[in-house]
Amino acid sequence: MAKHDEGVITVGRSRAGTFFANGTGILFGLVMIFPVYWVLNTAFKPDSEVRSFTPTFFPNDFTLDNFKSALGEELFIPSMINGLIITAMSVAAALVVGFLGALAIARFSFYGRKAIIMVILAVQLVPFLALLIPLFLMLQQAEEGTGINLIGDSLLGVTLIYVVLLLPYTVWTLRGFISGIPRELDEAAMIDGCTRFQVFWRIILPLTGPGLVATSVYGFIQAWNEFIIINTMNDPKHQNLMAWLLYNQTERGTAWGPLMAGAIITSIPVVVFFLLIQRNIATGLTAGAVKG
Amino acid sequence: MRHGKYPFIIGFLAVPVALYATFVVAAYIQTFQLSMTSWSGFGAIKFVGADNFVKLWNDELFWKSLRHNGYLLLLLPIVTIALALVFAFLLNVGGGSKGGVTRGVWGSKFYRVIFFFPQLMALAIVAVIFGRVFASDKSGMLNGLFPDSWSPWLFLADERWALTCILVVLVWQAVGFYVVLFSAGMGSIGEEIYEAAALDGASRITLFFKITLPLLWNTIQTGWVYLGIAAFDAFALINIMTVDRGGPDGATSVLAMMIYRNTFEYSQVGYASALGVVLFFLTLTFAALTLRVTRRDAV
Repeated sequence: MAKHDEGVITVGRSRAGTFFANGTGILFGLVMIFPVYWVLNTAFKPDSEVRSFTPTFFPNDFTLDNFKSALGEELFIPSMINGLIITAMSVAAALVVGFLGALAIARFSFYGRKAIIMVILAVQLVPFLALLIPLFLMLQQAEEGTGINLIGDSLLGVTLIYVVLLLPYTVWTLRGFISGIPRELDEAAMIDGCTRFQVFWRIILPLTGPGLVATSVYGFIQAWNEFIIINTMNDPKHQNLMAWLLYNQTERGTAWGPLMAGAIITSIPVVVFFLLIQRNIATGLTAGAVKG
Repeated sequence: MRHGKYPFIIGFLAVPVALYATFVVAAYIQTFQLSMTSWSGFGAIKFVGADNFVKLWNDELFWKSLRHNGYLLLLLPIVTIALALVFAFLLNVGGGSKGGVTRGVWGSKFYRVIFFFPQLMALAIVAVIFGRVFASDKSGMLNGLFPDSWSPWLFLADERWALTCILVVLVWQAVGFYVVLFSAGMGSIGEEIYEAAALDGASRITLFFKITLPLLWNTIQTGWVYLGIAAFDAFALINIMTVDRGGPDGATSVLAMMIYRNTFEYSQVGYASALGVVLFFLTLTFAALTLRVTRRDAV
């Protein structure tokens, strides 16, 4: 297939092939982006245009009314705040607990280590749905026993469950990262007089940075987007935006405009978070995955 | 150096192990117990032995749901990984080559961001959008695109195609993440390997099968595990999108959907728990198989 033109070697590349590759790329890109674009398109349209049977590809009357009416909903802002609190708390807790757990698994050999790894993997696969009822009963009992509000009108119980949900991935990924740090580094530092704790704090923690970023993104997306558990455990005033969005959809039928506007607002934190760490994400993902 | 190892191990693992013990192990034990009862969710709990499992064995919807679980478990990873590999390849080495240096298709940096967007969109939002895409009258996006003379396709309301529609949405949402994942993996394959192969006259297709695929095998396996998990999670989407939650006529029902309905709609917590037990063993089997096949002996 090698051919020579004008002294430049173009190997294994036909022009038609390149054209085909670019064409496929564009087509695929369009399929991926179209629904996203449609959300934006609908959100900025007045209701009459949304309901029209001839779809318009751009809003004729650009309007922010949909956003106003979404934001004006009674539970919108509280739901958003709830979601932010729960997400921040559960991601932070999962990172701390997960990092320590990963450290123990990656850096020490001990009896039962394999069992723990197996359980971690299994938990990641276990559908939490099957545990909803027992968890509800358990938290209810704990509430009666301790007098601490956990479910219904509290965010604590859901946060705890989210931590458990996020832990497997966190431990699994961080373990991959930590295993990738050569043990010689630990040993060198300890010869230089570091305690084991200092090794963890000053050497392993900073070197795991990209892994922490990758896992926090994953955790953020998971916790922010969850709606089944929170919908089961809490009353409407103590749920998150995602649950609100679905509730809103079923309650009010097809108010597409405000719904899409609400969807956009709901997606903003995740998109912002993603854009901030976009550059690290691919490295983070693979480093954790390949060595996993 | 061995001295003082256990305080660290115990200190580091105490919290995660305690969390797992209460929220997962203890909760599952309770599920196992409830699966032997006819509890409705309220009032007295009555022990019924294996009755729930007998009922399950004779439940047509159970077998149907099981088949649907299998369908998603098999097809979601295959379709997603295949598509993601092709496009990751296009992004990295699919474009023309200049002076023997391979490069991605035009605009590949831009695509990388676009492909990630579906991943950022919550399932609830995805479900709402694709509800519009697959709407079964002329207001639906796809039906709107078809010529007026066609009678509208039913999509989610059609027993034969409803589950495929769900699969399409799942693939749509997942594929971007794996494009990014595989792209990163391909980026770490040395440029000189491609160059050498290209100089030897390898075509794109040869490059893909002889170099990219073998060198990415580990990443692909990881992807397989996560997509398997995603397939078990398809319930959330099915719950929102499908006609009559798992319909029409059970055409999109999966085990998790049955658990949900039995718990919250039919007040059959005992039966739902029995389904939970089945799902538990299924997922464990999947985990064991995956571990065996991918041989993660590094653990």
